[in-house]
Amino acid sequence: MGRMRISGPHVVAVSSAAILALSLAACSSSSSSGGTSTGGSSGGGSSTGASAAGGSSSACQPSGGTVNLTFSTWVPGMDKVVAVWNKQNPDIQVKVNEVAAGNSGTYQNFTNALKAGTAPDLGQIEYDTLPNFRLQNGLKNIASCPGVADAKSAFVPWTWSQVDFNSSDGVYAIPQDSGPMALFYRKDIFDQLGLKAPTTWDEYASDAAKIHAADPQRYITFFSQSDPNWYTGLFWQAGAQLFNETANGVKVTISPNSDVDKVNSYWQGLIDKHLIATNLQGFSTELYKAWNDGDVVSWISAAWGYSTIRDNAPATSGKWAVAPMPQFTAGSSAAGNWGGSSTAVFSSSKHPAEAAKFAIWLNTNPQALTLENKLGGLYPAATAGLDLPSLQQGVPFYGNQPIFDVFKSASAGVNENFEWGPTMTDTYAALKDGIVNALSGKGTLDDATKSAQTKTVASLKAQGITVTQ
Amino acid sequence: MTVQGLSVESAATGRSSGKPRVGLAPVMFLLPFLIPFVLFYVLPIVYALWRSLHKITRTGGLFGAAHEQFAGLSQFRTVFHDADFRSSVVRVLVFGAVQIPVMLVTALVLALLLDSTLARFRRTFRIAFFLPYAIPGVIAALIWGFIYSPNLSPIVSALNKMGFHPQFLSSQLVLWSIANVVTWTYTGYNMLIIYSALQAIPQEIYEAAKLDGAGNWATATRIKIPNVLPAIVLTAVFSIIGTLQLFTEPIVFSKIATTITSTYTPNMVVLNASQNNYDYAAALSVTLAIATFVLSFGFLKLTQRRAGS
Repeated sequence: MGRMRISGPHVVAVSSAAILALSLAACSSSSSSGGTSTGGSSGGGSSTGASAAGGSSSACQPSGGTVNLTFSTWVPGMDKVVAVWNKQNPDIQVKVNEVAAGNSGTYQNFTNALKAGTAPDLGQIEYDTLPNFRLQNGLKNIASCPGVADAKSAFVPWTWSQVDFNSSDGVYAIPQDSGPMALFYRKDIFDQLGLKAPTTWDEYASDAAKIHAADPQRYITFFSQSDPNWYTGLFWQAGAQLFNETANGVKVTISPNSDVDKVNSYWQGLIDKHLIATNLQGFSTELYKAWNDGDVVSWISAAWGYSTIRDNAPATSGKWAVAPMPQFTAGSSAAGNWGGSSTAVFSSSKHPAEAAKFAIWLNTNPQALTLENKLGGLYPAATAGLDLPSLQQGVPFYGNQPIFDVFKSASAGVNENFEWGPTMTDTYAALKDGIVNALSGKGTLDDATKSAQTKTVASLKAQGITVTQ
Repeated sequence: MTVQGLSVESAATGRSSGKPRVGLAPVMFLLPFLIPFVLFYVLPIVYALWRSLHKITRTGGLFGAAHEQFAGLSQFRTVFHDADFRSSVVRVLVFGAVQIPVMLVTALVLALLLDSTLARFRRTFRIAFFLPYAIPGVIAALIWGFIYSPNLSPIVSALNKMGFHPQFLSSQLVLWSIANVVTWTYTGYNMLIIYSALQAIPQEIYEAAKLDGAGNWATATRIKIPNVLPAIVLTAVFSIIGTLQLFTEPIVFSKIATTITSTYTPNMVVLNASQNNYDYAAALSVTLAIATFVLSFGFLKLTQRRAGS
């Protein structure tokens, strides 16, 4: 036989093994060994040498010279705002990365980037996700950076509590915008039925009954299944405390919780009496059609929601108005908050002082705030921002009502002590799943919060966090 | 290759002739496949297996440093106690038990029809049946979402006018609405596999059958179907694997329907867990992979034993 015998399977096996061995060697040499590596955290792990317990704030000095920063954000028009900064600050140049919304994949990308060491200097992070990034040791403590301590007074107090975790041991982001909640409602339909804007939740419920009785196709509002942070905004208004973080651990009080129960039984009543739409998903085409057709006539939503209705229900222009959120007790002025982001400096940033300086400018400079409101629809967290000229004017879509006056007073009524948990995605998922059952009649909202309590505790324990009683 | 070539080579290298030598050429040809395969397929699987054996511990208080600690099989113990995972698996199994037979019977019937002597415009129908598979999954799910929507769908509003009020996205029906989309997508694909197997049946068998007096129906049931059983088994195995990985349609529908939980299917359970608990998600993935392997391999073995081959 004169042929060279090539053993096929042999070749494949030998080559695969060789590549596998090489790759494993390369991987294991870059990661630290064994079980005590600080680099092996759940998602972050870009620990800067020191054990970084709670983010000890190392001295934050300017780097000097020309500095290039990267900033990831999903606010539309941010590149125009940053262009203004870049022109005025030739020695600190910022490059904007336009990314998808946080929960649509960007937070996952930040987590992976932190682990790989390729995270940007600055990133947009919503308030409810800040604890999660702190858990990954992904946020730089900028408390000792120049200008940060003075910036505190420039912001609405409760927004500052969100970024300094209720004055614990540092500052982890600069507040950008907020979402104080109020009631958007179809003034024309309410007038037609002889109803005034409800000031209490009881009035809201009786209005719901009247509206649905007058037209069985029409509901006062809908219950979104995919926006659990809308629902937590209602808990926020009721004064509920869901989490309490201390140096050692977290106390989880989602259920039982008398404020949560109050909100649950109220909305469960509306669901049971079929007075609200239960098959419309938040921010869906079906919802927008219902708005356009007048099948849904109010929306309890945040300040930024004004552009959602404006852009998606054009047929109803001029017919909406904004009133303060209904209250549990007549005469009070508590409001909830839905959403709102901050600008955070990631722990891997090599120029935290410059990054913090830029973040403060971005969120306090009047020109920046005006552009962000105009292009991005943001409602500023800075106190000066609430008095921007552009926010004092009447908004045509809302019958020329100066709607931001309502949000300004709402912002003053947001509870400063509200805290988010370190694994909100798990809490939100549990709430969302419970709401699925409640909306289809197979469970109640109370079951949803009970399940959220159990699952949140389990999720925190899986992160190695002590859950205190 | 000649004897002379080998002897020249063996003279040059000094090796004793007759011993086979694996040259460099086959390895070089395989490398463009092997390198990405190992890097992006095998290595992640090994990494997932590795992560599934660990858990997170924390020192230094609430926001202290996290460590990966070896945890043996404790993550897998949690998987077996996970009620959401269990119900998601039950859900896809029920889904598969109904949807796969319906789809395969339809695919078989369509393939037989296409293959029969009575068929006209074969090519057009073949393309028409296959077209749904060519549409990207997310886009198909989005369009079907609109078709099922109670206030946006022209079909639903036509049905409403006729007095029917189907709630395709309600909690009772949404699983079967998804089954409908999956069937629509994959019937043509499975039909093509069965059709190709039908084409491979030698003509002599049909002639012999005709001589024995077999009509169209007898030919179909006694000759065609038995001969394409291996192809049907293949489509069944693909379908089982695909059903256990059901993901696109529920995720897309969850944006428009209020009836889909975040743990509706096993893959969604994994996605959910991976947000915060990577190790647990890895354990779930490994469990899912093993279950899929057992189910599909078991099915294959079962049918092979029945066929006696």
